[in-house]
Amino acid sequence: MTVTWTIFRREFASFFVTPTAYIIAAGFMLFTGVFFSQEFQVAAVRRIPINPATIPSLVSYMLVFFAPLFTMRLFAEEKREGTVELLLTAPVSEASIVVAKFMAAWAYVTILLGITLVYQAILATYAPQDIGHTILAYIGIWLYSGTVISIGMMFSALTENQIVSAFSSLLTLLILYVGDGVGGIIGNIQLSEIMRSLSLEAHYSTSFAAGLFRAEDAAFYAGVIVIMLFLTMRILESNRWR
Amino acid sequence: MTQKSGYVLTRGRAAQIASFVGITGLITGAIGMVWRSGASANYALIAIIIGGLGIALWAGLTPREFRETITGKRVRYGTVTIVSTALLIGIVTLTYMLLQSAALTLDVTQNQSFTLSQETLNVLRRVSRPIRLTGFYTARNLAARELDDQFFRLYTTATNGLIERDYIDPEQNPAMAGRFGVQEDGQLYISYLDAAGEIDMTTVSRVPRGESQERDVTQAISRMLIAGTIKIYFATGADERDAFDTTAEGIAGINNGIRESGLLTDTLNISQIAMANGDIPNDAAALIITRPLRDLTGAETDVIRRYMDGGGGLLLMPDVTYNEDRFMSETGTFNTWLWQTFGLRALDAAVVDPDASASSALDVISAVVFTESPIASRINPEAGTQTLFRVARVVEADLLSTPANIANGRIIMTTPFGFGERNLADLGATNTFGFDEGEDIPGPVSTAVWATHQVTGSRVVLIGDSDFVSNGQVLSAPGNGILFTDALSWVSGFSDEIQFAPQAFTSGLPTVFVSQQQVDLVVFLSVILVPGILLVSGLAIYARRVRR
Amino acid sequence: MIEVKSLTRLYGEVIAVDHISFKAASGEIVGLLGPNGAGKTTTMRMLTGFLPPTSGSAKIGKYDIVEDSMEARRRVGYLPERVPLYQDMTVFGYILFWAQLRQVKAPRDRTVDVLKRFDLLGRRDKLVRQLSKGLRQRLGLAQALVHDPPVIILDEPTIGIDPQQVIEVRQAVRDLRKSHTVLFSTHILSEAEEICDRVVIIDKGRIVAQGTPDALEKQVRANSFTLEVGRLAPERVLEVLRAIPGVASVKRRDAHFSVETDGSRDVRGDISGAIVAAGGELLEMKQVKSSLEDVFLRAVQSAADNPQGQKKS
Ligand SMILES: Nc1ncnc2c1ncn2[C@@H]1O[C@H](COP(=O)(O)OP(=O)(O)OP(=O)(O)O)[C@@H](O)[C@H]1O
Ligand SMILES: [Mg+2]
Repeated sequence: MTVTWTIFRREFASFFVTPTAYIIAAGFMLFTGVFFSQEFQVAAVRRIPINPATIPSLVSYMLVFFAPLFTMRLFAEEKREGTVELLLTAPVSEASIVVAKFMAAWAYVTILLGITLVYQAILATYAPQDIGHTILAYIGIWLYSGTVISIGMMFSALTENQIVSAFSSLLTLLILYVGDGVGGIIGNIQLSEIMRSLSLEAHYSTSFAAGLFRAEDAAFYAGVIVIMLFLTMRILESNRWR
Repeated sequence: MTQKSGYVLTRGRAAQIASFVGITGLITGAIGMVWRSGASANYALIAIIIGGLGIALWAGLTPREFRETITGKRVRYGTVTIVSTALLIGIVTLTYMLLQSAALTLDVTQNQSFTLSQETLNVLRRVSRPIRLTGFYTARNLAARELDDQFFRLYTTATNGLIERDYIDPEQNPAMAGRFGVQEDGQLYISYLDAAGEIDMTTVSRVPRGESQERDVTQAISRMLIAGTIKIYFATGADERDAFDTTAEGIAGINNGIRESGLLTDTLNISQIAMANGDIPNDAAALIITRPLRDLTGAETDVIRRYMDGGGGLLLMPDVTYNEDRFMSETGTFNTWLWQTFGLRALDAAVVDPDASASSALDVISAVVFTESPIASRINPEAGTQTLFRVARVVEADLLSTPANIANGRIIMTTPFGFGERNLADLGATNTFGFDEGEDIPGPVSTAVWATHQVTGSRVVLIGDSDFVSNGQVLSAPGNGILFTDALSWVSGFSDEIQFAPQAFTSGLPTVFVSQQQVDLVVFLSVILVPGILLVSGLAIYARRVRR
Repeated sequence: MIEVKSLTRLYGEVIAVDHISFKAASGEIVGLLGPNGAGKTTTMRMLTGFLPPTSGSAKIGKYDIVEDSMEARRRVGYLPERVPLYQDMTVFGYILFWAQLRQVKAPRDRTVDVLKRFDLLGRRDKLVRQLSKGLRQRLGLAQALVHDPPVIILDEPTIGIDPQQVIEVRQAVRDLRKSHTVLFSTHILSEAEEICDRVVIIDKGRIVAQGTPDALEKQVRANSFTLEVGRLAPERVLEVLRAIPGVASVKRRDAHFSVETDGSRDVRGDISGAIVAAGGELLEMKQVKSSLEDVFLRAVQSAADNPQGQKKS
């Protein structure tokens, strides 16, 4: 446990000692900011309500593009630098390593999500907000971000090359994201239902974003995270067996 | 040693078989569950149970091997990794399915958008025949379908499955869509099921989709339940306000409103019934008398008395009229009967309230509302749901010597400064009024009162005004419509059926006016300031690193 | 402290380490010698728990590297071939991280100690990426020692650094004698000779010789010379040299000839005599210190002659 905490701290700190993480955060906030101010302007002029889940829903889309940028280095960098060899020969279990790295990346995204609360604060001064709904939307997007990170991390463990890692996770996330709307293209309702139940977005948009907590959606995200962490551990281990 | 190894061998082999069966079972089950089409779900469940038993057996027989397989020490080969991953996926899928079927949800919205209100639950308690909600959604519209189903399934749960849901893709099944008359994606229909469990096409009706899903669906169900059971009659024959008149003076608006909420309406002529020595029809849940231009005769009063003795409902809306033979004149037969039987009467006086009125002191606003009365709970001048009566009669409830078996009370009353102007002639001719000590009725005076007979169950509401429900004025104050529907609901017994409290809170509706400067500030903050701070911090880190 | 028994490792079909067995007692410094691709790194990776062995076993102290991997790993300090560094950490942070990860008591004090020991304390707040190669090597050593492990495994710690640094690193390794068991790999025999109590020579995954440097030297004592001869045709030189008793082989490299004796007698006098007698002029005669290659070639040759060669008595 202390070991996990040690790795977590190092990993988390590593986000803030290079400019990359700040630049990613700046880009992230720029996109959300532009979108938010447009929404706000329209709503303010027409005096219409803004859905509490507006920002989290936008974040769900942006994470598809932003998450690979900071998950790509999680393992790929350790492999390139060879530090993974020391890490794996230290008296530390794979589980500790994987969980700590995952948590560090998740904590970073949590901070990003925290910054977006600025928008919610602006909204709160503009109109009374449905606090419960807002909180649930944020809990949902937080779980969602964990899932996205776990997938990105898995790809990072697969390859030594950060670019390959980033692109393969981006592609996967994109497919998982649009799985929600793929029904419109294939037009087969059974197939679209299956695609939908596997897509990341579907477990967010109709429940968390709508203000309804559904246990199965939380289980979906938690399950995907567990599976991805497990796979990452196996992949990490398989580097030894090969 | 040899014996033991022999034993271990068989055990190991059994465990091997168990692990194989277990994993295969779980995977098959998971796939079957995902496919989720009808009968396959049962087989999938069986497969999952067998799978679970197999895994349990495996774990029981060779716990060490099982543990090592799960924890990975033995996961040397890709195949084992794949199997253990498949196992994990199976467990996750199973948990997901179980939770999904358990439908554990929590509605956190302030409006309780995913919770059925008490009113709806009251309606659903009366559902006794299977009802089906049929939704038509295309494959492109699955998200909307899911969102709607979140809500519709509450109806299923609340009725223990009596209300079923079915979704049809109009593109895959155009014939069905044609039978229902589907025109657009996402339409919803309600119908009874026949004995064979098929949709009874004669009962199909479309559920309108408005602002409030709950209102739409519950009203549709309520309409199905009470279709033909509650009938309201408007009295005619003495120049009452016309239920079909769509001009400003008519009351076609409220008539339509009553019909839309699932009640049947009709008219009846009391004098004809009196002449024929007949009776008001048995199916009359309520009789509405809106400002006839003459008083009721003794024979007509008898007709109403017989009706009320049978437990009828009466909504009386006299008004200030300037003729001699005005409806419910203070000493008339009908007024006297009502006073003696229900302890209610109208007085020959107009309500004046200088302290709670609109443009003229005669336009009285509901000043004091007796919210504990069965009707007025939704009228609240504070919340903007006040009523507005333009020139109203003073009415009265006998609270001191209430007749036997009667419960009665006031609904709306003026301020203490209000009074009843007795000089109707001057009022009608020159529009003059003023409190004359000893002659006029000192305030506060009532404008609406109610009574019920505790043995027969008959109910009466007496409102001193009629034009407040006319097409021209029903919308002039938000409370007008509410008072009428609540009064009618109560006298007809419909309030026991359905009622909706208005939503108190609308999330996100702006409360402040946002100026252009403020919009600019928001843009500056979110587009420049926040990303800028982050960018500068990044550059600072970079600069520090370069310098070091 | 280290006990390796018939350790074998296959990469697919390739046998990288082939049934090797050796021991390293407490306080001993053991050199693992071998050319590129011999299997040194692979052996070390198995001992540190990075790679599992295909078969065979090894123990660190009394802990098996597979069965009690965690306990074994706890007792090992490891410096891989390519020094693994977190480029964006400070020197202090880097060492502190490994100290904490290995659950050292009072990690900060310990970090200061090792940094002092490797003369890095003055650079404690530098970023790792700004260190020179030699400093990085020292940082790697500090990392391997921070938890004061009984067993230290160093994979070619002196490769790619300047001679001054090499001396320092060797000195550092020597300082570990007695208090630690050190296994370190190299392909420089002199280095092994200089600091090792014992040397294990491997090639193509097999142990071809092992023993103290002295014993090994005796075993393979090879006397080699290089000659530069003037005024004589090269063919003639070869002919003359080969005729001298005690000369095992002669090879020509441009103007130089390398002569190897069988070590039975001193032939230097004979050589100069014979050259002069043949009418030549001996411009230079240099005794070559026995290089790894020489030792190695002999060891390999004998191993090839006798397939059981690595199982010497
Ligand atoms: N990851 C790997 N996959 C496949 N083969 C490998 C791998 N690592 C090493 N080998 C092979 O195993 C053999 C032993 O390699 P090893 O790295 O152990 O040698 P070494 O003695 O450390 O060599 P060097 O002096 O170059 O470091 C070599 O033939 C090498 O090609
Ligand atoms: Mg090597």
